[in-house]
Amino acid sequence: MNKTILLVDDDPFQLRLYEKLLQNNGYSCKVALSVDAAEDILKNNEVPDLIISDYEMPDKNGFEFRKRLLQHDSLKNVPFLFLTSVNDEHFIQQGLDLKAIDYMAKNIPPARILSKINNLMLAVKEHYERSLSEVKGIAEKLNLRNIPKQAPELKNFTISYFNQSYQYQPGGDFIDFIKIDDRHTFVILGDVMGKKWGAWFFSFSYLSYIRSAIRLCVIDGKYTLSEILERLNRVICADEFLAEIFSTVSILLIDDDKCTISYAGAGDLPVLKYEQGCNQLVEFRSDGILLGFSEDMYFSDLQITLEANEELYVVSDGMIDFQVNEEKKSDMEMFKKKLFDLKSSLEPTEHIVNSLFNKHTSQVDDCSIIIIKRK
Amino acid sequence: MNLSKEKVNNILVLSIEEREANLSKADHFKQLVSEEIDKGERKLIISFKNVEYLDSSFLGALVGILKHLIPLNGQLILTDLNGDIENLFALTRLNKIFNLKQDLKTAMLDL
Repeated sequence: MNKTILLVDDDPFQLRLYEKLLQNNGYSCKVALSVDAAEDILKNNEVPDLIISDYEMPDKNGFEFRKRLLQHDSLKNVPFLFLTSVNDEHFIQQGLDLKAIDYMAKNIPPARILSKINNLMLAVKEHYERSLSEVKGIAEKLNLRNIPKQAPELKNFTISYFNQSYQYQPGGDFIDFIKIDDRHTFVILGDVMGKKWGAWFFSFSYLSYIRSAIRLCVIDGKYTLSEILERLNRVICADEFLAEIFSTVSILLIDDDKCTISYAGAGDLPVLKYEQGCNQLVEFRSDGILLGFSEDMYFSDLQITLEANEELYVVSDGMIDFQVNEEKKSDMEMFKKKLFDLKSSLEPTEHIVNSLFNKHTSQVDDCSIIIIKRK
Repeated sequence: MNLSKEKVNNILVLSIEEREANLSKADHFKQLVSEEIDKGERKLIISFKNVEYLDSSFLGALVGILKHLIPLNGQLILTDLNGDIENLFALTRLNKIFNLKQDLKTAMLDL
């Protein structure tokens, strides 16, 4: 994925020069001729990976721009480089006092400008990866995991699951398997609305509630998914902490003795089944509204039968998002067709999943798929 | 987040002037609409005429707005959803909680 750089300079010639240099070397650029124009771009686009701004500009200068950025939580930590023809100690000090990472004189040769930017981006990436790995390490130690380490072994079914994060950041998709006894196993796929860290954080709250709701119902001898979802939804609606956080969820209960599967869902995508000899995937649509919206929600259980070698697919919405010719779209039918074509050509499960994920060259959200196969 | 607004009698018509309604715009969008509700607006139409893609963060913002509006006896209608977005609403049952209309004219008749 290309790194995006916002370039701000009142000299259109200089701006074009830098834009061309950076674009030719794999960066994606946004350009602004003034601080006001730059602020408009920042307001309407995703946060850039780096901001390079000229110092001397009419109206607001580079220092003023930097001061304004420092007041925004979402922008104050974006690496910032000053670009200038002024080259004295006082200026440099003032820029660095404003937490600018560095400054660059306009007259240095393009190759050196590029090296400086490349090195800076590399340092930022390494720093980010270090922090990410520290957070992940702490989460592991606290046993906070929204994707399990392995699926349970069953007598009559095999469960495989795959998750790919968005831009290498944790996301809102969560998967869980709860094996109650040799007979009953719950399979859960949820997606907290949102992306990246915020969604990741709340996915743990949802997971805890789901685990508790299932355990409490099972203790009472209740294995009805609709009842579990109703209880779960009521608890989530009562939690002020989650007042504006919503999640979809698909819950399946595998009865490994009777070889049956029950399914219920809240705001989730249809569960798909590949039936041998069929000319398309069969859809099972749940009827629940996403969790957390309203206390008075009702859910229904669906029964699904799988014959030997037949497969069931549970997917999160990231799987049906595609980018075609620069345009993003959500297309369930396109996903179904891809999956059906792969399945019909007798590709093994691993190949199917790799192919589905690799086709997401322009993935726009985190993606998860659970495959349940009858042995 | 580019959002244009127009008041027609007691109805506030908001048009999302973005091709992509995504994470980077969701919070700002929610804040702008919530400010209008806090100012007393109760009948809202949000037009998606220019929107080609909607992500789950933006959907979350829309659900949050609706949840905020319901106890205030407010009404929210979404109009001009393209085929893909309308399908997504249907697939995830969001069409059961949102009032979706084909265009502004039809929406106006409903308020």
